[in-house]
Amino acid sequence: MVGPEGKVRSGVRYLGLTLILLVMVFPLLWMFRVSLMDVGSSIGMGRLLSGSVTFGNYVDLLGAGNLGRALLNSVLVGASVTLGNILFCFMTGYTLARFRHIANRLLFVSVIVVLMIPAHIVIIPFYVLMLKAGLYDTYWALILPFLVNPIGIFLVKQYVESIPPAMEEAARMDGAGELRILLAVVMPLCRPALAVLAIQVFFTNWNSFLFPYILTTSDELRTLPVALALLQGHQAVDWQHLMAGSSIAVIPVLILFIVMQRQIVSGVTAGAIKQ
Amino acid sequence: MNKRCLLTVLLYWLFGASVQASETIEWWQFWTDPGVKPTIQAMVNEFEQANPDIEVKLTDLTWANGHEKIVISFASGKAPDVLELGSDWIAQFAVHGHLAETTADALKDSADFRGWSMATYQGKVYARPWILGTRVLFANRDLLTKAGYEEDFVPADQQEFKEAAFKIGNLGRNIYGWGSNTAEKHRLYKKFLPFFWTTGAQLFTDDDKYCVLSSKKAADALLLYKELHDSCGYVATQRGIEDAFLDGKIGFILSGDWLLKRIELEKREINLVSTLMPGPRFPGRSFLGGEFLAVTEASTHKAAAAKLIEFITSPENQVRFCKASRSANPSSKTAQEDEYFRSNAHLQTFIKQIAMAKHPPVDPNWVEMETAIEEAVEDALFGSGLIAEPLMKARIKIDKLRRR
Amino acid sequence: MNSPKSTALVLALPWGATLILFWLFPLVYSFVMGFTDYRLLVADYQWVGWSNYRELFLDPDFGAALKNTFVFVIGTIPVTTVVALGLALLVSRGFKGRGIFRAGFFLPSVTSMVVIALIFTNLYQRGGYVAMLAELVGLSPPEYGFLYDQGTALYSIMAMDVWMSVGYYMLIFLAGLKAIPDELYEAAEIAGAGKLRQFGTITLPLLRPVALFIVVINSIKSFQVFVEIFVMTKGKFDTATAVYFIYNEGLATHFRFGYASAAAYVLFIIIAVFSAVQFALLRRREALW
Repeated sequence: MVGPEGKVRSGVRYLGLTLILLVMVFPLLWMFRVSLMDVGSSIGMGRLLSGSVTFGNYVDLLGAGNLGRALLNSVLVGASVTLGNILFCFMTGYTLARFRHIANRLLFVSVIVVLMIPAHIVIIPFYVLMLKAGLYDTYWALILPFLVNPIGIFLVKQYVESIPPAMEEAARMDGAGELRILLAVVMPLCRPALAVLAIQVFFTNWNSFLFPYILTTSDELRTLPVALALLQGHQAVDWQHLMAGSSIAVIPVLILFIVMQRQIVSGVTAGAIKQ
Repeated sequence: MNKRCLLTVLLYWLFGASVQASETIEWWQFWTDPGVKPTIQAMVNEFEQANPDIEVKLTDLTWANGHEKIVISFASGKAPDVLELGSDWIAQFAVHGHLAETTADALKDSADFRGWSMATYQGKVYARPWILGTRVLFANRDLLTKAGYEEDFVPADQQEFKEAAFKIGNLGRNIYGWGSNTAEKHRLYKKFLPFFWTTGAQLFTDDDKYCVLSSKKAADALLLYKELHDSCGYVATQRGIEDAFLDGKIGFILSGDWLLKRIELEKREINLVSTLMPGPRFPGRSFLGGEFLAVTEASTHKAAAAKLIEFITSPENQVRFCKASRSANPSSKTAQEDEYFRSNAHLQTFIKQIAMAKHPPVDPNWVEMETAIEEAVEDALFGSGLIAEPLMKARIKIDKLRRR
Repeated sequence: MNSPKSTALVLALPWGATLILFWLFPLVYSFVMGFTDYRLLVADYQWVGWSNYRELFLDPDFGAALKNTFVFVIGTIPVTTVVALGLALLVSRGFKGRGIFRAGFFLPSVTSMVVIALIFTNLYQRGGYVAMLAELVGLSPPEYGFLYDQGTALYSIMAMDVWMSVGYYMLIFLAGLKAIPDELYEAAEIAGAGKLRQFGTITLPLLRPVALFIVVINSIKSFQVFVEIFVMTKGKFDTATAVYFIYNEGLATHFRFGYASAAAYVLFIIIAVFSAVQFALLRRREALW
C-alpha cells in the first residue's frame, strides 16, 4: 500500500514531529541535567551529555534545606485535598444528577458561574478572611477552601447521569439507607470518573502557587512550588540546587503522568467538550 | 520565735512569690545564621541572669517573611514586646502608632550612638540604633596595577575613579571596570544613592516640601552612574557581581561588609583594597542603613523591654555581636573605638564611611519612593537610556506619594 | 437522612458552604473593600467613595499593568490556538508512535508553572541556550539576557507560556477532531474535494465551537497571569501585569486592601466583558449553522 513516495512522506513527518518533541521536552531534560551537576562546575551549553553526575544537590536540599519539609507538606495537602474532592464532588455531583427537583438549576448555575470567576481577583478578600478566621498560616488555609471544585462536580454529574438508577432502586427496596447506597453502590460504579477527578485535583493542587503563597508565611508550612520560588529569591542559591529542587517537584508528577496518562487526557477533554 | 518564723513564711508567701514571678517579654529578631544565633542566645541568657525577674522569649524571623509577620502581629494585636526593625520600616509602623516612643531615660546615653535620626519620625524617637551598615568602594589591586597604577593608588575623586574604572575595563575582553547591579528590588537604589548624594544632589528641598529628584546634580549623578554601567560595567545581581569580583574580573565594586565575611569563609585570595566613596573633592557620602530595636506600643512590659534593648545595644555587647556576625558595624561610638575595628584596615574604612554616610528620608512611604528611584535608574540603564525624563517621572511619583 | 429531600440537602452542603464562604463572600467583600481605605496596619477604615477608582485611573503603574496584560492576552492566544490546532492535526491520524508525541507535547502542561519559570529563567539568561540559538540564526540577543531587557522580557515570558500550554489545547482540539464523523470526509472524497478543501469546508467549520471554547478559557486564564511574572522578573522591565499589580499593592509591602480590591474589580469587569463578548460570538455562530 505504501509506495516510496509515502515512505518519504512518513519519514519527513517523523523527522518533523521528533524535532517538535525535542523542543517540547528539552527544557525538562536540561533541568534534570543541571540538577546532577557539581556546584561550581560550569553549566555551559555543551554540558548536556558530558561532565560530572552527582546526587549531592538533592541530598543537600532534602537534608539540611527546607525542601524535605516542603515535599511532605505538598504530599499532605495534596492528599487531603484530593480525598476531600473525591468525597465532596461525588456527593454534590450525585445530588445534581439524581435529585433534579431540589434547587438543581440554581446549584448548576452556581457551578457555571464559579467556573467563570477569575480566582486570582479574590486574593485580597481571601487573605483577610483567613486572617480574621484565624486560619492564616495554618494547614487549614491550604486545605479547607479547596476541598470541592466545580469541574469535579460536573464530571461526576455527567457520569452519574449515564448510570441507570435501577441499581440504587433495587438497593433501596432491600432497605439500604441512603448513605449506604451512596457509598457502597454508586461510588464504586463511579470509579473511572473519580480517578479522572482525583488525578486532576492532585495535579492542580501540587502545582498551585498563588494561594499557598499568600495564605502562609512560615517556612514550615510552605509547599514545594512556594518553597522553590522563595529559594530562588534567596541570594546564595545556585542553578544546580535550584534545578534539583525543581526536579523534586517534577518527578512525582512525571511518574503519575506515565502511569495515569489515560485518565489525565480524558480529564482534560471531558471538562472541555461537555460544556 | 515560732511566731516570727510564721510571719516570715507568711511574708515570703505574700510578697516573695511576686518578686520571684518573672515577667516574660517576647523579642522577635532576624539573626538565624548558625554563626550568630548562639551569640544572641548567650546575650539573652546573661540578661536573664542579671535580671532574674525577667524572662525573654526569642522568636526568629527571616527576611523573606519577617515584614509580613510583623505587620500581621500589629494588625491582630499580638505584637511582641521587642522588635528588631530595619531602618526603612520604622516610619511606616510609627505613623500608625504601633511603636512606643523611646523614653527620656532610654535616651540618656544617646550621645554615644549614631543613627538616631533614622529612628526619628516627626520629632519623636521610636527605636534604638543597634548595628549600622554602609557601602564602601572595594577595588582589586592586581587589576589596578595591570592598568598602570602605583602600588598605593586609591582614587581621590570621582574623576580619578571613573578613569581608573575605564582603564581596567579596557584591559581585556573578560575584565570589567565596575560592578553594576541589574534591576534588583531593594538593592539597586542602595548603589545609586551614594553617587546621588556624593554629587551633592538632594531628594527634597531644604524646607522638605518638594521632591527635587530631577535637579541638575541628580542628572549628573545618574549620568556618571550610567557612564560606568555602559562603558565598563559587569551587569548582574549583587551576588553575581560579587562572584565575578572575587574571581578577579572586576576592578571596582560598591559593597557592604558581608563581602569581607565571604572572603574569609570561602578563603578567597584577592588583593583587596577598600576605600571611601570618592567624592568631587572630599570623600563622598555613602548609603547608611541599620538594624534597630524598638518597643511596641502594645507591649505591657515596656520597662523590661527597654532594659533588654539597653543591654543588647551596650558597647560591649555590640562589639561581641559584630565579631560574631562579621557583617555589621556598631552604632555605639565607644564600640567603634574597640581594638577589633581599629586593627583591621577594611573595618576602619567602614567605620569612617559610616561617619560620612547618609540615610534615606524617614517616611512611611519610603519603600514606594525607593521603587520610584529604582525605576528611574532602570529606565536610564536598561530602558529608554534617557536621564532627565525618568528622573522627572520619579519626582512626580514621589511628590504624589507624599501628598497621599 | 431518610427523605430524599433532606439527603440531597446534606449532600449538597459541602459545595454550598464552599460556594458561599470561599467564592461569593470574597467577591462581595472585595467589592465593598474597594470603596474603603482599608489597610492592614490601620485598625479603622473609612468610606472613600470612588476615590480608589479615581486614583487607579490616574495611576501610571496600573495603566502599564493593564497594557501588559492586554499585550499578553492578545499576543499569546492566537498563537497558542493556531499552534495547538497544528499539533492536533499532525498527531490526529493513525500512525505508529503518535501516543508518544501526544504525551511529549502535553508534558509541559502538567508541570508546575514555578518550575517551568525557573527553567526558562536559566535558558533565557545571558549566554544561555536561547541566546546561543539566537546567535546561531544571526540575531543578536539582548546584552544582559532576555529577561533583563524592556524590549524582550514580556515577549520572552509570552513565548514560554505558548510553549507550555499548546499541548493542553492540542488535546482539546484532538477530542474535537474525533467528534467529526468520518463519513463527511468520505463524502467529500467522493465529491472530489482535495485535502486542503476538506480542511477548509469540513474540519475548520466544525472545530469552531471547540476553538472558541479554547479562546474563552485561555483568555480567562491569561488575564490572570501572575506566577511567571513573580518568579521571572518581579514585574521589572515592563512586565508587571494586572494581578501582579494587585498583589504588589495589596499583599507585598503596604497592604492597601481597599486600593488593591478596587484594582481587582476593574480586572474582573474587563474579564467579564471579554467573556460575554466571546460568548455572544459563540452563540451567534451556532445560530448561523
